[in-house]
Amino acid sequence: MLGRRVLLPTLAAAVLTATTITVIASNSQAAATTFTPTADTYVDNSATSTNFGTSGQLGVDNSPIKRTFLKFNVTNVSGTVTSAKLRLHTDDVAGSQSSNGGTFRTLTDTAWSETGVTWNNQPAIDGATISTLGSVARNAWYEVDVTSQVSANGTFSFGITSTSSDGADYDSRESGTTAPQLVITTGTTTTTTTPPPSGDPVLVGAGDISNSGSGDSATAALLDNIQGTVFTAGDNVYDSGTTTEFNTYYNPTWGRHKARTKPSPGNHDYNTSGASGYFNYFGSVAGANGYYSYDLGNWHIVSLNSNISMAAGSAQEQWLRQDLAASTKPCTAAYWHHPLYTSGANHAPSTSTRPLFQALYDFNADLVITGHNHQYERFAPMNPTGGLDTARGIRSFVAGMGGASHYSFGTIQPNSEARNSDTYGVLKFTLHSNSFDWQFVPEAGKSYSDSGTTNCH
Amino acid sequence: MKIVIAVVSAVLLAAVAIGYTKLNAGPKATADSVKVTGQQLMVLSNGRLSTVNRQDPGGPRDITDQRCDRAYASGGTIACLRPVGALKAGELAVLDANLKEQRTIPLTGFPNRARVSKSGRMVAWTLFVDGHSYAANGFSTSAGILDTKTGTLVRSLEELTPDQATDTNYWGVTFADDDNRFYATMSTGGHRFLIEGDFAARTTKQLFDNVECPSLSPNGKRIAYKAAVDGDPQKGWRLSVLDLDTKKVTATAETRSVDDQPAWLDDHTIAYGMQRSDGVNDVWAVPADGTGTPSVLVPEANSPAPL
Repeated sequence: MLGRRVLLPTLAAAVLTATTITVIASNSQAAATTFTPTADTYVDNSATSTNFGTSGQLGVDNSPIKRTFLKFNVTNVSGTVTSAKLRLHTDDVAGSQSSNGGTFRTLTDTAWSETGVTWNNQPAIDGATISTLGSVARNAWYEVDVTSQVSANGTFSFGITSTSSDGADYDSRESGTTAPQLVITTGTTTTTTTPPPSGDPVLVGAGDISNSGSGDSATAALLDNIQGTVFTAGDNVYDSGTTTEFNTYYNPTWGRHKARTKPSPGNHDYNTSGASGYFNYFGSVAGANGYYSYDLGNWHIVSLNSNISMAAGSAQEQWLRQDLAASTKPCTAAYWHHPLYTSGANHAPSTSTRPLFQALYDFNADLVITGHNHQYERFAPMNPTGGLDTARGIRSFVAGMGGASHYSFGTIQPNSEARNSDTYGVLKFTLHSNSFDWQFVPEAGKSYSDSGTTNCH
Repeated sequence: MKIVIAVVSAVLLAAVAIGYTKLNAGPKATADSVKVTGQQLMVLSNGRLSTVNRQDPGGPRDITDQRCDRAYASGGTIACLRPVGALKAGELAVLDANLKEQRTIPLTGFPNRARVSKSGRMVAWTLFVDGHSYAANGFSTSAGILDTKTGTLVRSLEELTPDQATDTNYWGVTFADDDNRFYATMSTGGHRFLIEGDFAARTTKQLFDNVECPSLSPNGKRIAYKAAVDGDPQKGWRLSVLDLDTKKVTATAETRSVDDQPAWLDDHTIAYGMQRSDGVNDVWAVPADGTGTPSVLVPEANSPAPL
């Protein structure tokens, strides 16, 4: 099938966005939202180590070979997506026109960075061909239908290549009003009734929680309004894990929800020998050795202890494998303190946790939650060696935003999809029968949010 | 205005030089194949060693395959603190200007600061080290110095002062032009002191309180650093400049909290990293004399070092 190509010569570039929205909004059945790229750049095989991320232009060419990369973050779109259009504007400069506007495809990789991509390290343009544009003129808008690629909220990457030595040049997001656009139109007729509350179980919590500051009070106040089981991802109290700290800091805040709390211990809890403050406070629910499991609806949940041996063959790792083997639930989640995957600047990835992650992966688990670095980070589903694994990978979170200060990020690691280091909050999971929803719930007065859904496997 | 014209000319010349013939009259060029030339600034682009043109720092950048969590360069020597890998601990890599590895030193800890003396001879680093329970915030640091000429290695500045209290930590080394004298921060008892060290004599002396991550100006007269607000790091840090002769402290026009070891671009301008809430950094610059306003020098980059 030939690609769809629509030239919009009558729209003045400077007012295109407003005009487009007005036109679409006049259709009473639909609502349109226009997104600009969160990143766009091109690579050039005649300058293989050069990044052009801040350029005002995007090149596609076959001599030298230039490829363009675009990334959009589609958020807050509800209802059925009836149309998604990718729009590009050719630069107002001699030579921007071409007999070949390029071939458009999707990319699996959505973690590339605008100022990091070069010819040498470019992400693979591995999706099927969406469309190929024929001739493009100077200073004009072009449109590609990407409805089948963009059906819901999420991050989407597109790549544009050309087989012609007559290159085309588009305007990048840095160019302002002629920046690329992704226009999403949704139908409004089929979603007039809100589905009733699912009644599916909720697991909500965070790590790195209570000290003399007020962060733990802010996050505990969120729990007051969220039903369900409360998890903790370690470092329940600072700095020393004493009984006094549990009674003084934790008990008046998160302690209000102690009866529905399933905790895990962190290194600060272990600053008191044997984490006796932790075990005395939570009692038998904390497990004899700090690890245990329970079920919620269709889910099997495991709380682990990353402060004791986790090596393959260790008592904990052997117990975990037996526990997972005995589970009959189709979905599995686990949480502990030290992250295997993190971009935090203060604590490196804790590779000693890998045998636990491996056991969970071997038994097809779906979700891992950790803390330790005082921030929020979400990763794409990965295998135990950090590779993107959309088939069997485990989605992992660092939920160290429970209230005890914030840390910086270091080098952002592969497959990191969302991060925040200035907002306390809790991470809420709604555990459906064969999927889970995640939602970052921010402290009062803050607006950071992150939400989505992942299916069990 | 002159600068802008010069940059455009350079771009056109570069394009012509490689035989890019599509250009003709127009307000700007089509997407070009420009290599970064001229006086350069080294930065990290999310952990990759990169260079940008000093006159066009927001423009095209060359990105190498060298991965560093922190880096600095001077006098033909690059200090690269390599990340902790899945199967391997971190290390200091000393590279020459052509990125050829001269020496590596295995290090345990998380890369935090790096510095090279003006001549390229002396290399220093700071790491975060876990597991010291005495540290109130759970952290300890480790700072070391390598003399690349003699091979003398001081793995930790604590070796120079064996009688210090157990809560002593060092970070943020900066060198004088004589490749011997250095400054750093020493923390003990809840205070963070500027110290001056003599590498050959293996001695240090305490100078001023509340000076972190010092950076000596090219003329050796001033120290740019981060000053804890009200002496309390929990309240953040003000990027400040200390005149070593007059002892006068000048707060820069940067009022946001800066958690970085600044770098001097020249005797009047300081560059430093600022992190957005999503972990992406930008390199900013501000005059050292308290005037002016901060501005972005290199977007989406950190760890600046003028070459």
